[in-house]
Amino acid sequence: MKNIFYNLGYFLREVKTVIRLNALSNLFSFLSTTLIFFILAMVISGWWISGKVVEAIQGEAEISVYYEDGIGNSGAMELLDKIKSMKGVREARVVDESEAYMRMEEILGKDALVLEYFDENPFSSFIEINIHIEEMSSLLDKLSTIPGIEHVRDNREILEKLQDISNALSIIGYLVVAAVGITTLVIISHIIRMGINDNKEQINTLRLMGAPEVFIGFPFLLEGLALTLGGGILASVLGAVTLKYAYAQMAGPLPFIPLPPIGVLVSNLFLVIVSLSIILGMAGSFFGLASARKK
Amino acid sequence: MVEAKGVFLKYPDGTIALKDINLQVIPGDIIYITGPSGSGKTSLLKLLMGVEYPTEGNISVLGQPIAKGQESGIRRLRTALGPVFQEFRLIKGRTALENVMLGMRFLNVPKGQLKDIAKDAIKSVGLESKELSLVENLSWGECQRIAIARAVARKPALILADEPTGNLDKDNALNILELLTSFKDKSTAVIITTHATHLIEEKRFTKHIQMNRGIIDFERLGVT
Repeated sequence: MKNIFYNLGYFLREVKTVIRLNALSNLFSFLSTTLIFFILAMVISGWWISGKVVEAIQGEAEISVYYEDGIGNSGAMELLDKIKSMKGVREARVVDESEAYMRMEEILGKDALVLEYFDENPFSSFIEINIHIEEMSSLLDKLSTIPGIEHVRDNREILEKLQDISNALSIIGYLVVAAVGITTLVIISHIIRMGINDNKEQINTLRLMGAPEVFIGFPFLLEGLALTLGGGILASVLGAVTLKYAYAQMAGPLPFIPLPPIGVLVSNLFLVIVSLSIILGMAGSFFGLASARKK
Repeated sequence: MVEAKGVFLKYPDGTIALKDINLQVIPGDIIYITGPSGSGKTSLLKLLMGVEYPTEGNISVLGQPIAKGQESGIRRLRTALGPVFQEFRLIKGRTALENVMLGMRFLNVPKGQLKDIAKDAIKSVGLESKELSLVENLSWGECQRIAIARAVARKPALILADEPTGNLDKDNALNILELLTSFKDKSTAVIITTHATHLIEEKRFTKHIQMNRGIIDFERLGVT
């Protein structure tokens, strides 16, 4: 460690020299790293946005509980309190007959005239429950045991499909991010190995003079770090520009998609990509050095 | 400094590079190892640097056994050696001064002295005007001198020079040998290999070892 601090100036000059001596090779390495981090940035953004969309749709998951007429208003309020305290319930409220009527009018639009043929309001009041979708099954089981409930409209089929889509999106997201992450690691360690190979003669000479492996490897570690960090920063900037353009394009024709705020998305993306570029750069350098040492 | 007893070196392809080598080197020695190409001179130097391990017999350099499982000790041993390689092994893209300094950077030389020691070493080989030249712009003879400067700047206990006179004319070769042996002192020994046996007739040495086909043909003592 003492040696590293002692020679820090030398190591930095050495990185500059090594990059300068293999300028073209390093330029291509830098561009490849930028490109792969840009792809990773886009995959992560897509994953986040789809996660937010699913979250927003999940937030709309609702079931309706119809209760017996005989329980009266106080009975309905008691039932509401009981439901509110159950696990898996986000929010619950009573929708009375007149609100139910108005909602149907909204749904039917011009055809709402048909409702005028009824002498009395044909709709009964019910409790509308906004649920955590992953708790749906256990919640429905519990509701079926509560006295006073006549019927539950659970939209089970639709909600289960929604749950499946959400699970699939999470798994695909993890797989894609892991695949791109591993690819990044492999490519970076290969790039570092090529750099080490270009300097094989120098490394062997230092070994013959008794230089410790840390002394020999540190400039290459810094070189790998410089390439990946530079690539990560450039990829984040390109990612931010691309996202801003994509948001501008989507805002018009697809206003109903609940996109996360662009500022938050871009700053989170920058943090993730730059951190990953540091971690993957160091890991890639270690792998590259280890495999070059074996050789 | 060096103690070798009954050393054999056999390469994996079956080639026997060294047979029954016995050698002793003490501080202040100047030893010439001569012989034609393939006689085992470079193999012997590789053993002394711990690049190869003996397949039979024992060898120790500065008290460090050269054997499998001794890698970290051998790494430390190398910091006490001053190697002058056959093809110099100077690092391209760096100046002569940077090359000499590089050989010392991991030796715990006080930071303020690093440059001065390197400059003194370059001066001692007569190339102070070339210290800021990139090594690829130096002539063969100049590279040889910078390689020697790099070796001696490390203040080694044992200088090992592999064919330092190769490709040089007689006068330059004699100058190089003179330069190398001038770094010998009471605590430093110098081992030089060369195929040019005729050159050493005019030089000072404590021991001349003639090798042929992996064995020591003859040994003779000299005076320094």
